[in-house]
Amino acid sequence: MSCQRLKHWIEERYGVEEMKRLAKHKLVPVHQYEIWYYTGGIAMFLFILQFITGMVLSFYYIPYFEHANKSIIEIVTKLNMGWFFRSLHHWGAQLAITVLFIHAFSTLLLKSYRKPRELLWISGFILLAISIFFGLSGYLLLWDERAFAAVRVATGGAGNLPIVGDFIKAFLRGGIDVTGDTLTRFYAFHVSILPLLTLFLIGIHVLLVQYHGMSVPLSLEKKPQKQVPFFPNLFYKDLIIWLLVLGIVVSLATLLPPEIGKKADPLAPAPENIKPEWYFLFLFQTLKLFPGEIMGLNGEMIAILLISCGILFFFLIPFFDRKSSRGEKSVLFTWIGVLYTLYFIVMTIIGFVS
Amino acid sequence: MKRIFFAVSFVFANALDLFAQDKAIEVFPAAPYDRFIIFQALALFWIGIIGLIIIIRMKLKEIERIQKMGIDQEKEDTPLLD
Repeated sequence: MSCQRLKHWIEERYGVEEMKRLAKHKLVPVHQYEIWYYTGGIAMFLFILQFITGMVLSFYYIPYFEHANKSIIEIVTKLNMGWFFRSLHHWGAQLAITVLFIHAFSTLLLKSYRKPRELLWISGFILLAISIFFGLSGYLLLWDERAFAAVRVATGGAGNLPIVGDFIKAFLRGGIDVTGDTLTRFYAFHVSILPLLTLFLIGIHVLLVQYHGMSVPLSLEKKPQKQVPFFPNLFYKDLIIWLLVLGIVVSLATLLPPEIGKKADPLAPAPENIKPEWYFLFLFQTLKLFPGEIMGLNGEMIAILLISCGILFFFLIPFFDRKSSRGEKSVLFTWIGVLYTLYFIVMTIIGFVS
Repeated sequence: MKRIFFAVSFVFANALDLFAQDKAIEVFPAAPYDRFIIFQALALFWIGIIGLIIIIRMKLKEIERIQKMGIDQEKEDTPLLD
């Protein structure tokens, strides 16, 4: 079949020309804050990279506590380019979570969550939570002493939640403590349950973006807007940024390959100065602020309850910010957004340096 | 007696390993030649990326120039040849 005939065959069945026309008609506003539009695209690109590198690693990884750590050592030391793929997966995850946080905070500060985009915010928030759980589950797969202790602390923290805490802890651990069962469970989450949920939610998120179009900040909404077609203008700019991100990930993977720790020993004491992954540092640091006991109650439980309330408020912010929904300026929620962003950054830095 | 002496000293000699420091796992190829090849590939990779970015930017500028002139717009009553 010649190329022309193949094109005709596809066109007859799927109307590609119509899709091309649609892509050309999709317009994107141009303004001073347009740089934040690219963060979503970068996150999606990094997700694709994670899927590819993860699939390659899963060919050789053994999800059994006796062999997990050893299989990673073999991937890194014996397989051709194994060290590179493992490093690429590690740095891809770090950057993906960083970009997702930037995307979330920029949406919060520009109030892009306001009516009619509440579901976009909700789907994005769930995607961020899933990505963090991706990070935690992937961290345990190393099965080294640091990952083991970090997961023990994280799942133990979830256990402090009233009523549902014990159930969540037991469900995550697959028993009363972190064991080989937890590893198998986290492997299942990491390679099948979470990727399926992620694909589903990305689909919904992208569809909603197409349906509503790009959000314009309140301060610019009433001004006349210059618009450019998504294809090819924005698509080419996206391509440039993706190439730069790919270069950064590859450079980090080459120049700073992550270490492999000693195999986890459930009976050994936790290593000194243990810290969770950077995206948990703000929680870790907040927990440190609370004393062990407050008015006869468990201090950690109160801290986790307050943190959960803070996160729930963040999750439901589009429904609280009524002024923005009406298209009015809402200074209070701008300050709340600034406070959330600063708190996250400052606590992460303190946790990192302390 | 001689055999027992050798057996005990052999056990002690092996036990010395327990005091040895843990060897860090090499997470990056150690051979200088391999390292050179990797850094060379990284440099070439960046040259490729920069080249591609220049080409895309040139293409984008051309598209913007055509859009500015307005000749990318198809008029509704344009007579078609086929």
